[in-house]
Amino acid sequence: MIKIKPNELKVIAQYIYDISGIHLDQSKSYLFETRLSSIAEELGCNSYQDLYHKAKKDVSKKIEHKIIDAISTNETLFFRDKGPFELMQHKILPEMIDARTPSSAALKTNIKIWSAAASTGQELYSIAIVIKELVNDLSKYNFKLLGTDISDNAISQASYGKYNKFEIERGLDRKILQKYFTLFGDSWKIKDEIRGMVNFRKYNLMQSFAALGKFDIIFCRNVAIYFTLNDRKQLFNRIADSLADDGFLVIGSTESLTGVCPRFVPKRHLRSIFYQKK
Amino acid sequence: MKNLTILVVDDDPVIRRLLQQRLAKEHYEVTIAEDGHVAESLLEQHHYDVVLTDLMMPGGIGGIEVLEIAKQLHPKTEVVLITAHSSVDSAVEAMKKGATDYLEKPINFDELFLRLDKISNLQTILKSAQDLEQAMTVTESAASETIQNLEIEIARKQELLEQLEKVLLDHTLAEDERIEQALSKLSEI
Ligand SMILES: C[S@@+](CC[C@H](N)C(=O)[O-])C[C@H]1O[C@@H](n2cnc3c(N)ncnc32)[C@H](O)[C@@H]1O
Repeated sequence: MIKIKPNELKVIAQYIYDISGIHLDQSKSYLFETRLSSIAEELGCNSYQDLYHKAKKDVSKKIEHKIIDAISTNETLFFRDKGPFELMQHKILPEMIDARTPSSAALKTNIKIWSAAASTGQELYSIAIVIKELVNDLSKYNFKLLGTDISDNAISQASYGKYNKFEIERGLDRKILQKYFTLFGDSWKIKDEIRGMVNFRKYNLMQSFAALGKFDIIFCRNVAIYFTLNDRKQLFNRIADSLADDGFLVIGSTESLTGVCPRFVPKRHLRSIFYQKK
Repeated sequence: MKNLTILVVDDDPVIRRLLQQRLAKEHYEVTIAEDGHVAESLLEQHHYDVVLTDLMMPGGIGGIEVLEIAKQLHPKTEVVLITAHSSVDSAVEAMKKGATDYLEKPINFDELFLRLDKISNLQTILKSAQDLEQAMTVTESAASETIQNLEIEIARKQELLEQLEKVLLDHTLAEDERIEQALSKLSEI
């Protein structure tokens, strides 16, 4: 493993921040080494300075993407924390459906949902499954489910919708597994009826969200923890701009918006919390 | 006792007995099934770490079907196939369907034990990963409860403070009324 020198730490940390907004603690040099060493070696670099220069010069941005894949923590699972999905089932979706159902029966109910750090897709597929279980006949609805993430690898796995047995083991009960997945070699693939409900695209949360339009429900879980307080403030401020006035925001179960975004008020339902605009 | 439970499925009584004896001697916990049907009903009731099955068996449920049943019912189960040299191609097909490995007949027991060892090591690692995850989940849900309670409590206090400010700035009220209402707001904080 290539050792990182003290003067390289600052350059690399700044570079990673510039491309992803991820703030890495410079006192934890092993974080940089364990995640970047193999990329550096693969490219024949003998130092991280060298890797940095190669990445900056690479117009195809391939190296930059690899670095993002290596640096980002894609840890996720189906129905993570359970609470938010019960919240969707019993509170958020029924209320949103009520609010968005047009008076004319000829019109469809439009609901837009965004998983803002979708990682490998488990969160958005869990939402899609909850929707499918709640409203069996989707023909009267127009659900738009968007998953975004900065990591190419994560987005391509999410799009493919294939999970190995370890990923499946975590969070999915057998009934849901049998109903919505098909065995595919040693892995399981999400069925087309669920796959067809969602879309994934690469998106950096440090960018403006204007291009994405407004959402009725936003899940932004376990990503802001990697950002500085200042970036977190700006992120949730822009999320507030992208959320419908009566929309719902769900954040990670150990995250807090206190001192981050005064535009949101926390509300409790059952054992979970969600946020709405003031 | 080794830490693996194994289901042996083979229609040949000689091979069945041989496998059972050799595996038991190595202290694995072994269950045997004489065909695919018996294997199926056992799999419906129990979880095995490893299913060791013959590829070609009479009676409609062959090794591939046992593999599929095992994977459907217990995604974590490792399936190792035993095949005649002539059917290595179908063994490769089976690997694509999720088999962990295959062994050619006649069974080389050293090889079998080596594979089982590998599976066992993998499961040990998996187990500690799961333990770690469990421990994290416990910590996380305790932390989450604390944080969420604080979040709600702070929001409540903030709301009261805003009301307090309003009362204090409300010049339509007499001074002593303002103080009285402010004090009552304060007591709720
Ligand atoms: C720990 S996962 C969270 C997944 C899911 N939301 C959950 O809670 O299980 C964090 C994800 O955030 C993504 N990420 C990090 N920085 C990002 C950025 N600037 N823009 C978009 N996604 C980012 C990472 O690639 C990673 O997949």
